[in-house]
Amino acid sequence: MTLSDTQPPALIKVMIVDDHPMVAEGIQSILESYDDINVVGCLPNGRAAIESVAELDPDVILMDLNMPEIGGLSATEILLERQPDTRIVILSMHDNPEYISSALSHGAMGYILKDVPTDEIKLAIDTVMRGERYLCTGAQGSLEPKDAARESLTEREQTILLQLAQGKSNKEVALTLDISVRTVETHRKNIKRKLGISSTAGLTRYAMEHGVLQGTGVRL
Amino acid sequence: MIAPTYAQKLTLIASVPLVLAVTAIAFVVALQARAVADREISTLEQQLLDAKKVELRNYVTQARNGFYFVYGSASPDDGAAKSQVAQILAAMIYGEEGQFFVYDYDGTALVSPRQTDRINRNFAGETDSDGTPVVDELIRIARSGGGYHTYMWPKPSTGEDAQMITYVTSFPSWQWAVGTGVFIDDVLASGAAARSDVQARVQRTFFYIGVITVTALLLVFGTGMLVNLRERRLADAKLKKLTQRVFDAQEEERGRVARELHDGISQILVGVRYALDNARRRLERGDARAAEPLAKGIDSLAQAIAEVRRISRDLRPSILDDLGLGPALKTLVEQFALRTGIQCRFDTVVFRNRLDDEAKIALYRIAQEALTNIERHARATEVIVDLRGHRQGATLSISDNGLGLAKTRSTAGGLGLRNMQERIEQLDGTLTMQTSAQGGTEITATVPLTHMLRPPPTALP
Repeated sequence: MTLSDTQPPALIKVMIVDDHPMVAEGIQSILESYDDINVVGCLPNGRAAIESVAELDPDVILMDLNMPEIGGLSATEILLERQPDTRIVILSMHDNPEYISSALSHGAMGYILKDVPTDEIKLAIDTVMRGERYLCTGAQGSLEPKDAARESLTEREQTILLQLAQGKSNKEVALTLDISVRTVETHRKNIKRKLGISSTAGLTRYAMEHGVLQGTGVRL
Repeated sequence: MIAPTYAQKLTLIASVPLVLAVTAIAFVVALQARAVADREISTLEQQLLDAKKVELRNYVTQARNGFYFVYGSASPDDGAAKSQVAQILAAMIYGEEGQFFVYDYDGTALVSPRQTDRINRNFAGETDSDGTPVVDELIRIARSGGGYHTYMWPKPSTGEDAQMITYVTSFPSWQWAVGTGVFIDDVLASGAAARSDVQARVQRTFFYIGVITVTALLLVFGTGMLVNLRERRLADAKLKKLTQRVFDAQEEERGRVARELHDGISQILVGVRYALDNARRRLERGDARAAEPLAKGIDSLAQAIAEVRRISRDLRPSILDDLGLGPALKTLVEQFALRTGIQCRFDTVVFRNRLDDEAKIALYRIAQEALTNIERHARATEVIVDLRGHRQGATLSISDNGLGLAKTRSTAGGLGLRNMQERIEQLDGTLTMQTSAQGGTEITATVPLTHMLRPPPTALP
């Protein structure tokens, strides 16, 4: 008879990324009051989170939005490139639907307000662990289905679009950004779908016409 | 180094051609005037000289005809006749300088009543002060039948050299050259006087033209400076007023925020403090109802957080910094539509966070101001807000189907939009107002590429 047979499933490993120590500590102490949660780390910004995610290997990341160095949205994208199975929940002060849709388009699984009753944080963690989205109460209603053509590029997608438009191959982009070629390919597909453009030449032209390439030394 | 202002440049552009044209005209007029005067003076001189010549010839002809009764009947060596004629010729002096002279063909002076020391002396080879042969030439002309000779000769009255013109003819059988001459220095002097008079007139004309030009230029500059001064004073006054209003607005805003912090959040937080204090005291007493004030305190804190969020959003929407101008405008437009019931559409391209802070906030404030104007004055039912990047930069346009420029200009062009215009001009951008396709107003703001950020860092260290 082993422990795992009788014990509930393994502890949920949670990482907290927030540049306000009071908030991070507050969340940590609340989460530690739950038996099935193990807070594996509190990181002060996106860069620190990216650097230690492999080592800490969290199941869920609670991510602040507005942080120095690398903000919550960019960090979310980059963390997911490295640890695709991690579920990220954005912790925010803003109930604006634009924030919520941005969070989702950057790959977050959940979005909650910092001033919700603390129980809701646990609820969000449990929900995303089941593989479902969790959006804070009141946010769901304001999220209308998006016109696919109007969907914004994420910051990562913008970066990759620029490199593709500059004539770099998938492999070169992968090397520059330190990600796998498959990830680049996925981004590329998403960019083409969002812009409704099928060729690389079309991407370059599009970037040029919208002032993205200018000032980067690329001539057309 | 002072760079010339626009007004100064304009004055320069206006005055340089004026000065050039006036100078050219003055030179042409002077040249023409001098040429005409010269021609007239020369003609007059010539006429005077011609008249004198005719006169001289008449004198000499008259004398020769008069002596013919003596000369015609005398033999070539009739000394008495010669002496008689010579005496009469010597007596025929006229005017101040007028006299007849006689040289024999050898060059000996026979008659010279005003310079008697010359009589009976030989002057062959004599030249005047310029080296012109005098007596030899007179004899040559006389022998060849008579004519004029011009040379320098001392005036008998003063002894000064002056130009003289002479008519000479011959008494061939006596081998005499007989003639008379007049000084023409008076004619030449009056010509020269007339010429210098013309020169003086030309110079005077130049002077007058110069004075007129300088006066005109001074007038132009003076007027320009006056206008400039006046405009600057007006602009200063306007700026002062504008600055005052900006300060007023700023003070008012600060006052409002201070009130909201004090009356709203402070009071709530004080309430929280009482609740927590209450909870602690109940806990100390072992009172089981400690959870009640705690829950109340937590509720109040949530309320305080909501207040802070609202105040901070009113001051500066953090969505601008977090998500960029597109989402911020989308939210602004949605809230505007909700508040006013005006139908709104927001279009943008898909790029996010591409503008720098200054451009973002300027464009956001322009949209805010434009929407406020639409709500207050335009009576529009439809608003379209469009934001997109292009090859030259990024452009925001807000158009409505309301009353249009003509009817709202007085109010819409007020402090707010003028402020915006200054703000966007500082970014080297432009702000224009025109009639929209729907017949209302369209406000277009553009910032150049220099305000578009380079894409986010490509690789993590």
